[in-house]
Amino acid sequence: MALISSLLALRKDARILKLPPYLSALCIVVGVAWLLVLPLNEYSRNTYVSENALLPGQVHTYFTGSEHNVFRAYRHEVHALVNSPVAERNQRLGDILRSHNLKVATQRYEYHASGRNISNENVYAVLQGPRADATEAIVLIAAWKNMLDQDNMSGVALLLTLARYFKRWSLWSKDIIFLISGDSTSGPQAWVDAYHNSHDPAHVEHLAIKSGALQGAVALDYPAGPWGHRFEKLHVVYDGVNGQLPNLDLFNTAVNIANGQMGIACTLQRMWKHDDSYQDRMQTVFRGMISQGLGHATGPHSSFIPYHVDALTLQTVGDGWHDEMSLGRTVESLFRSLNNLLEHLHQSFFFYLLMGEKRFVSIGTYLPSAMIIAASFTITAIALWVQSGRPSTPPPNPASTSPPAKPSNEKEKVPMTVVKSGSSTAIIPTPLLTTTERPLFLPLTFLTLTHFLSLLPLYLFNNLPSRLLTPTFHLSLLLTSFLPLLTAYALSTTSRPTPRETTLIHCFAAMFLGMFLSALATLNFSLSILIGVAAAPMNFIRAISPSSSSSEWTKGTRRAVSAAQVLLMAVLNPLLLVKGATVWYGVDIGDILVGAAEGWHVWGLWTQVVVWLVWWPAWVAGGVVAATGLFV
Amino acid sequence: MASDQQKALLFGAAAAVRLILFTAFPSLPNLLAGRVEVSTPVTSFKRLQEGLFLYTHNVSPYDGGVYHQAPLLLPLFSLLPDPSYYPFATNLLYTALDLLAAQALVQIAESSQAVTPRLFKSSRKDLRWSSLAIAAGFLFNPLTVATCIARSTSAFTNLFILTAMAKASQGASITFVFALSLASYLAMHPILLFPPLLLLCYDVRVVKSKSTVDPLAFSVSHVLGLVVAAGGLLYMSALLTGSWEYLAATYGVRLLLPDLTPNVGLWWYYFTEMFDSFREFFLGVFWLHVASYMPGLTIRLRKQPLFVAVTLTGIFAVFTPYPSIADASLYLSLVTLFRHLFPLMRYSFLASATILYASFLGPAFYYLWIYAGSGNANFFYAITLVWSLGLSVVVGDSLYAALRDELDVERPELRGKEVTRI
Amino acid sequence: MLSFRSLIFFHALVACVLGSSDYAERLLLRPLPQSALLASFNFRSNESFTSFEQQNFRYFPRSLAQILQHAGTKELHLRFSLGRWDAESWGERPHNGAREGGTGVELWAWLDAENEQEAFSRWLTLTNTLSGLFCASLNFIDATKTIRPVMSFQPEGDHPNLSQLHLLHGTLPHEVVCTENLTPFLKLLPCKGKAGISSLLDGHKLFDASWQTMSIDVRPVCEASGECILEMEQTVDMVLDIDRSKRPRDNPIPRPLPIEEIECDTSKGYNAADTCYPLHGSAEPDFSLSQLFGRPIKGACPLTDSDGENANTVCINTPPERTVHANTTGPYVESRLVADTLRCYKLPTGADFDLSLPSQQMTTGLMLQPPSLFAARHINGHGQERGSIQTTIRNPTSSAVDFIYLESLPWFMKPYIHTLRARVSNSLENPITETFYKPAVDRHRGTHLELRMLIPASSTLTLTYDFEKAILRYTEYPPDANRGFDAAPAVIRLVSPGSADRKGVYIRTTSLLLPLPTPDFSMPYNVIILTSTVMALGFGNIFNLLVRRIVGADEVPGAGTGGIRGVIKGKVERLRALLGGVKKNT
Repeated sequence: MALISSLLALRKDARILKLPPYLSALCIVVGVAWLLVLPLNEYSRNTYVSENALLPGQVHTYFTGSEHNVFRAYRHEVHALVNSPVAERNQRLGDILRSHNLKVATQRYEYHASGRNISNENVYAVLQGPRADATEAIVLIAAWKNMLDQDNMSGVALLLTLARYFKRWSLWSKDIIFLISGDSTSGPQAWVDAYHNSHDPAHVEHLAIKSGALQGAVALDYPAGPWGHRFEKLHVVYDGVNGQLPNLDLFNTAVNIANGQMGIACTLQRMWKHDDSYQDRMQTVFRGMISQGLGHATGPHSSFIPYHVDALTLQTVGDGWHDEMSLGRTVESLFRSLNNLLEHLHQSFFFYLLMGEKRFVSIGTYLPSAMIIAASFTITAIALWVQSGRPSTPPPNPASTSPPAKPSNEKEKVPMTVVKSGSSTAIIPTPLLTTTERPLFLPLTFLTLTHFLSLLPLYLFNNLPSRLLTPTFHLSLLLTSFLPLLTAYALSTTSRPTPRETTLIHCFAAMFLGMFLSALATLNFSLSILIGVAAAPMNFIRAISPSSSSSEWTKGTRRAVSAAQVLLMAVLNPLLLVKGATVWYGVDIGDILVGAAEGWHVWGLWTQVVVWLVWWPAWVAGGVVAATGLFV
Repeated sequence: MASDQQKALLFGAAAAVRLILFTAFPSLPNLLAGRVEVSTPVTSFKRLQEGLFLYTHNVSPYDGGVYHQAPLLLPLFSLLPDPSYYPFATNLLYTALDLLAAQALVQIAESSQAVTPRLFKSSRKDLRWSSLAIAAGFLFNPLTVATCIARSTSAFTNLFILTAMAKASQGASITFVFALSLASYLAMHPILLFPPLLLLCYDVRVVKSKSTVDPLAFSVSHVLGLVVAAGGLLYMSALLTGSWEYLAATYGVRLLLPDLTPNVGLWWYYFTEMFDSFREFFLGVFWLHVASYMPGLTIRLRKQPLFVAVTLTGIFAVFTPYPSIADASLYLSLVTLFRHLFPLMRYSFLASATILYASFLGPAFYYLWIYAGSGNANFFYAITLVWSLGLSVVVGDSLYAALRDELDVERPELRGKEVTRI
Repeated sequence: MLSFRSLIFFHALVACVLGSSDYAERLLLRPLPQSALLASFNFRSNESFTSFEQQNFRYFPRSLAQILQHAGTKELHLRFSLGRWDAESWGERPHNGAREGGTGVELWAWLDAENEQEAFSRWLTLTNTLSGLFCASLNFIDATKTIRPVMSFQPEGDHPNLSQLHLLHGTLPHEVVCTENLTPFLKLLPCKGKAGISSLLDGHKLFDASWQTMSIDVRPVCEASGECILEMEQTVDMVLDIDRSKRPRDNPIPRPLPIEEIECDTSKGYNAADTCYPLHGSAEPDFSLSQLFGRPIKGACPLTDSDGENANTVCINTPPERTVHANTTGPYVESRLVADTLRCYKLPTGADFDLSLPSQQMTTGLMLQPPSLFAARHINGHGQERGSIQTTIRNPTSSAVDFIYLESLPWFMKPYIHTLRARVSNSLENPITETFYKPAVDRHRGTHLELRMLIPASSTLTLTYDFEKAILRYTEYPPDANRGFDAAPAVIRLVSPGSADRKGVYIRTTSLLLPLPTPDFSMPYNVIILTSTVMALGFGNIFNLLVRRIVGADEVPGAGTGGIRGVIKGKVERLRALLGGVKKNT
């Protein structure tokens, strides 16, 4: 804002138009550098539990002894059900839960995404807390299949055992819901949608039994077979759908209990080895940002977070000496903490970047980086706007309060006209009367059309059958790479946009991008900064035309410069970048697309909306602007 | 002739856009009607439906905390079929409201009171947009469309304000007084528009009638007319609801702000956080502040009464207790009448960028506060501050431009020179 | 069938006790499925009108009587409740729900007053004095929590001048009932919990129950002869989890049992020393009064009749085959009623009395009467702006049920009655036959909605309506603002089939938690300052333009770059500061 105003104040200064590219560059450099210094001790903080009621790890846990025998038995039971059909499986699980005197119900769901049919059944049980009046509830989840599609045997068995164990306690002041979801993403989504009655009855069954407002959810992921498997660490997964995060207090409580009380090491973002060095911290932050930026569901807990239910998944990793009982005691202690809650978790942070299980930065510290990068586009937009509004010879602005540079010669330069108003006569500089109208029509129509055009791929990629997705992607990659050139050519042949119009196209594109990104930065910081960095070069391309470019350039030079710009933009094609990322991470683009389509239809994911409706049109506009230089 | 065709085309297109939006997205009206930026407690269509339901079931709608809108709306809407089942008639009504408002705007533009009032000829009088362009600016303004789709009753207020302006700029006294009394009856604060519009009407009348018009008789007659019209409306309402308790439930709510539902204005959060002992005091101060602009502007800009009225609508859009984007849309489309001032405005880009940013960030921050629960109330509050700041910058800047324009006429030698204020 | 008759008979039994003596007390035990036990205590004391007027009280507690006289209360009903009745497993409610209340505290009374204002002022007197008497925050029942039900409640007593009686009703859903409410409750009893069945009532056990409700009902009863008495009935109903209650108080932690004590399913293939599939024995668990309540009954209360119907103060309602041992040193009498399904005991005076039931494999199931309606109420949607209430009422019986549905909502929860929809699963016509609606007024009155509905046989009725949540002034939020606010349970009264006596049949849903949007409590000053700044900027800018004259810059000596940029700079600085400040405050 300060920048804008100072620019405005000085906007008639001749040098001002040279400045913005450097300013934008500065912004981007600062933004990225800002991110890079975050892991340093000076800028990050140690985590702490700010909600007093939680008292993590203050209770003694009794989940031992004969419970272990029961657990083993249940694990065998679950193992026996692995290959049985869904109905029979849930019947059996329901019987076990019923035998604990819990209220049991099931829920069928069936989604269709990219030609696939996702259908399964959830089974859940409600433990009515003796001290509770059905106003609040906490959820314990164990998906039948975890994210890697393994059978979550020990997880489910542990849930059954804990249900039996929790039932004996008389101190629960909230209901406890035990949910065994059919899979790790759609099942919980269907359940939590139906719980808040925001589901589509055509695809998802109503819930027969409900309880009070959900206060928190914990998911177990422990895919160990019937003979058990001792694990080394707990991997705490906390990303929600669309990059929303659970309250930091919940995460801290889990880490605090597992680490301090049970002596189980915790890790996050698949950083199996983390020696708290700068590199590791940076890498954790980066992985966290990637996963947040993608906004996909990372576990059964993810679907809960959009409903303002703080949730996370405890996943066992590695070979170590911790057994199911220590995990069970961790969950017990965690639930005792949640049971203490008097209010919905609200104290601590909801926006944070974790760089280790005990270190984080909060929004106040990291948000400026994204905002600065978004601001760089706005600066460009302003510069282009001023430039587009400038007649070839700038008259002194009558309104500007800054004295003109050289009044004396100024007067001579400006042609005068005589005006007789009433009796008084005045001599007036002509340019004031001939105002410089900006041709807004073509730029606005162009941008509107581009945005509407981008609806097409959005629709296609969300609705095509899975086998067509990959070919379609490569085809559209090919097409979009040449789209700017073609458009520029078409424009130059048909409507011959004046340099001013091209500038305005560029200006509006940059302005919209900056605006969207700054709004997005508050919703999904990582996505905003990733797109911002990827689209940064838009600030520096310019439409090369004989009038705008410096005079000594020959036609050849202009062509060459334009070609270079076109090449640059072609490399930055969003599709190309996505493809490159998939190659880098060695994942199949098809899976990504299928997952995205499922996300669109099931989880309400809007990452692709941002990519197609914000990033892609801006890129097209930039490409066209760069390419116009080739055809003049 | 051609202009008539263009006009028909424009209005047809505007109507088509609205009806298509209504029919293509059946859930959109309720979605928008639920947005705090669009519908406030005193204009919300859902509350109107509630009041209507109570009214048709013989429960006094004003014996409750939900319905705060004018009584005469009730019989009007009770004539229409229930919008929750047969929305078409209601949609048609609101589309018609917008078209009429646009028509009034066209009339204002055609009676070139904006550029050449009686006492003042702007030196840039030839620099202006066509009346159709101005109407298009109003009809296709996203804020106007959103207001129409949300079926907020501020569409009525806007229509009557615009009609009052149009009739005043045509010198049609009776319709002007009646329209203004309707507007003030619906929303109370438009009563402040009376003095400038009265001056406008007077000027036009003087120009029209060759003989001189006695200002005293003129003003007295109009004041009486306003009193009679407004009194008649109030009395009819009293007859309709059977008691005068509606006064407290409608104007009382606007005055005392018991309902703190968030909106784009400055009042709600201020009085949420206000200490109880000072509440009444600051309510008085805020209302005084809103009213204080009218006399100052009217006296200083005696030569351009229409501009005063327009600036006042802008001030209403910022400083009234329950503003919505409808008020902003009214002001922004009225400002386009003064195209000739734009070259003199200095912060147009800053202001428009601010408003654009606010309109993007507002919904995002509201979502963070209410639904995601990850941001607190200050997020949305900050955006309302920015929005109000942007609008007030536009108001102040246009005012500066108008004064500068007058100066250029008074002292042509100062043109293009630096000026300062003493 | 058997069970049904027995229950009918039991209610008749309770009814016929009335009037025949001045003080009577009875404890009824009824085992429920899932190793639960229903224990309902019932105390009744009468006082004749004449002695009541003359203020000489024998059994009727003086403290309460004086309050009633002072507040002109003719009939009083007070409830303290905790937990919820699980109708699916436990069947029909005790006393048909006529002696229970919604979660928290519920109070309704018929007051004798000339007009509504006087009635309300007396109501305030009543609530304030009662809050002092019962150590409950009844004084928080103000105008916003008080309603005047039209159809839902009928007087139980005989009132000569019903016309000038005013019924007022108030609830405190968030009130946590605990021992400090039990102690004054016991103080009202003639035996003060020292002897008789009331000696079993102990806070630790009572409030460890899965569901418990205490009630006080005062009503005038007139004989045909015309002489009237004032009857006070106190009841305590609770459902105890036998396993949980049997735990000794010094060691209440449910540690895992030693593996030897767990009955394993040896038929499982994987059964081993370290692997045990637990079997849940079908045998009825064993228990005794002293185990459940931590102490035996300390003999009979001497004020109860020594013979006749009322002498049977402890009754247990089990199948005949269940063995019941009475352990006492004193003389006692066991009488078997209703085809032996009801065993009643006349307590010895001065000697401890204990009942013990051994664990037993039963052939006949427990006796349960299915309830005539199931009701559940939930909030749909999420977010702190709006939502919708959904009430599901299921009629399992084979006959249509006519009932009245009462909702009393806080003022900051604004229902949209035009969105009220009632659908019946298997029919199309509107089940609502009568509606009474009194909308809320901000900060003055809560919403009061009463619906009379008819639900066809074996069908489900779904009632939904939207509501909006108001944002309050920051001084109006409680300290735990982010927990949300409680909305009182809905009350359902069955009209037909009603009950034999005048108590009526009632069902109550659970209360609701209503999260409201919260402002930031930390920064009233910042908000006031920032808003004022913005207004001052607008005002200053405009009036600066209005009051000052514009002249050429060169005409004014020393007028360089004008103040306008300064103003804008200031604006921008403040704006940036503001944004920064807000970011920090998240």
